Amino acid sequence: MLSEYTLKKIKDVKETDILVGIPSFNNVNTIGHVVRALQAGLIKYFPDSKSVIVNSDGGSTDGTVEAVQHASIEDFDAILVKHRTEQVLKITTPYHGIPGKGSAFRTIFEIAHSLNAKACIVVDSDLRSITPEWVELLIKPVLSRDFDFVAPLYHRHKYDGTITNSIIYPITRALYGRQVRQPIGGDFGFSGELATYYLSKDVWDTDVAKYGIDIWMTTTAIANDFRICQSFLGAKIHDAKDPGADLSAMLYQVVGAAFDLMEQYPDKWRAVEVSEPVTTYGFKYAVGLEPVAVNVDRMIGRFQLGAKELINIWQEFLSRDIIHYLRRTTSITASKFFFPDEVWVEIIYSFALAAHKKLINREHLLRSLTPLYIGRTAAFVKETGDSDALQVEEKIEGLCRMFEQKKPFLRENW
Amino acid sequence: MNISQKIIFEPLQKILENIMAFLPNLLTSLFLLIAGILIALVVKIIFTKFLKAAGLDGFTARFGFPDLLKKGGIRDPLSVLLSKFIGGIIVLVFAILSMRALEVLAVEKLLEKFLLYLPNILVALLIILSGYLLGNFLGRAALIAAVNAGMRLSRLVGAFVKYTIVILSATMALEHVGIGKETVEIAFAIVFGGVVFAFALAFGLGGRDMAKEYLAKKIRGEKDQEQDGIGHL
Repeated sequence: MLSEYTLKKIKDVKETDILVGIPSFNNVNTIGHVVRALQAGLIKYFPDSKSVIVNSDGGSTDGTVEAVQHASIEDFDAILVKHRTEQVLKITTPYHGIPGKGSAFRTIFEIAHSLNAKACIVVDSDLRSITPEWVELLIKPVLSRDFDFVAPLYHRHKYDGTITNSIIYPITRALYGRQVRQPIGGDFGFSGELATYYLSKDVWDTDVAKYGIDIWMTTTAIANDFRICQSFLGAKIHDAKDPGADLSAMLYQVVGAAFDLMEQYPDKWRAVEVSEPVTTYGFKYAVGLEPVAVNVDRMIGRFQLGAKELINIWQEFLSRDIIHYLRRTTSITASKFFFPDEVWVEIIYSFALAAHKKLINREHLLRSLTPLYIGRTAAFVKETGDSDALQVEEKIEGLCRMFEQKKPFLRENW
Repeated sequence: MNISQKIIFEPLQKILENIMAFLPNLLTSLFLLIAGILIALVVKIIFTKFLKAAGLDGFTARFGFPDLLKKGGIRDPLSVLLSKFIGGIIVLVFAILSMRALEVLAVEKLLEKFLLYLPNILVALLIILSGYLLGNFLGRAALIAAVNAGMRLSRLVGAFVKYTIVILSATMALEHVGIGKETVEIAFAIVFGGVVFAFALAFGLGGRDMAKEYLAKKIRGEKDQEQDGIGHL
């Protein structure tokens, strides 16, 4: 699967202690900063370890690959008082398979396995807030505390990561019983052993090869009893994800991957009754975040359009009460619009059940979730307009409790 | 021999003789028909049980098949429907055999013509059924995609996709059975072309400003002002 150039590089490098992977596709604006932050982090915190940075690129045409090759810290003395002189090795390689983040990760896992890496991290190439400290926070728990998987924990704007906040975090927590706050954060640390385990799975022709990779990595680690923790990394500020990818496709891939994992580990999640916190590293501090512009009226309009046109499809698997509620909202004004937690949780569980029972075509099912998600997000934005970070977190906590409370509905109807 | 014997009894006797000669064929024919019906009944029961056990109904439910059938006024699940179809074919085969057993020239000729035409009818029915199913499937996909793109006319888009496929398949089916071959083709071209032209006009005139704005943005690479800044992942 790996190119001849990459295989030759692997042969030259032979083995490594730490491997850092960066998937990329047209990220010329940010990737140089990401590579420099990682280089500084590796040299500062792991001066005695052999390290390799791998850029797995999806055929960028904007000079991303060149930016990686030329990115280096010219004056280390300005950053570190004491440092080693040798630079960190870099491998830039194209990935194969279905175009997507997951396929890029697969190549990174293959190289990690070939180089017998002890610890690995993967970070997004669109990050603008990454610092050298991220390297330490994601690697140290693996090398010094024997953890297999380190999930990120960030301060994010209240309207950033809405799929995480409204679906993926609450459902992962309710199903598998571990309170991993950013299960699809995208910046993870993991052991070489776990990288080899990931590689052994035959999932690379599914949504895991695309945006489904993050939830798959986290859930696979939890469900297979690998030791997991999370590290506080500070603020997460990033460019918009692939501008070509539409919301419906992202939602389809991420939620589809989460539903597939439910099929894979039914005994695991059915047995879980309560959730528990996971070990958290890092010094927590408040950060300022960039404001986010949201057009709530437009979002409500999109939801109402969906509720009007897709109600016949939803009728096939949603309860009468939910359908009645959705019908009522089509004529409601924006000022009176709301979307209760209870309704949202039942909708998500009903979608999961419909996918499990194959009540309608899977693609139709998952893509029809988009207007509902937009409606729920609009209601969330309305409710939390004046809330600070703590109040927003409390609101999300309430939603998580609702997911846990209503889990028997899912279990009994599975 | 008197005249009444010649006019009445002799023809009657001949008819009786013919009937007596025809009776074994008639009985064979009736026997075949009854046997066919009984065999069809047994095969139908066996197939219903087998298809139900094989999970055919659950499998086809994935593609919304039961709903399509319900919309067409059919309440039976697909397993029962297929079994009935197989039973029907058996009855048809035995009915043909029974009619051939009659050994009547006119019936044999009619049967021959019918048998030659039958495959065309079956293929045409299959084309219509496939077109109907595909039209429903793609129509629904188009509706969802249009809703997700925020199009106000999403229902129209879905219906357009669905009926284009249904009309296309109906045209193909009619062409296959040889009904008004050229007329159907021309009618389809006129109707389809007209619909596309109407859409082009509607979009062109109604959405001229929108199209202009969209193209300007695309060419200049401007950002959509209405785009939300929400980061979903």
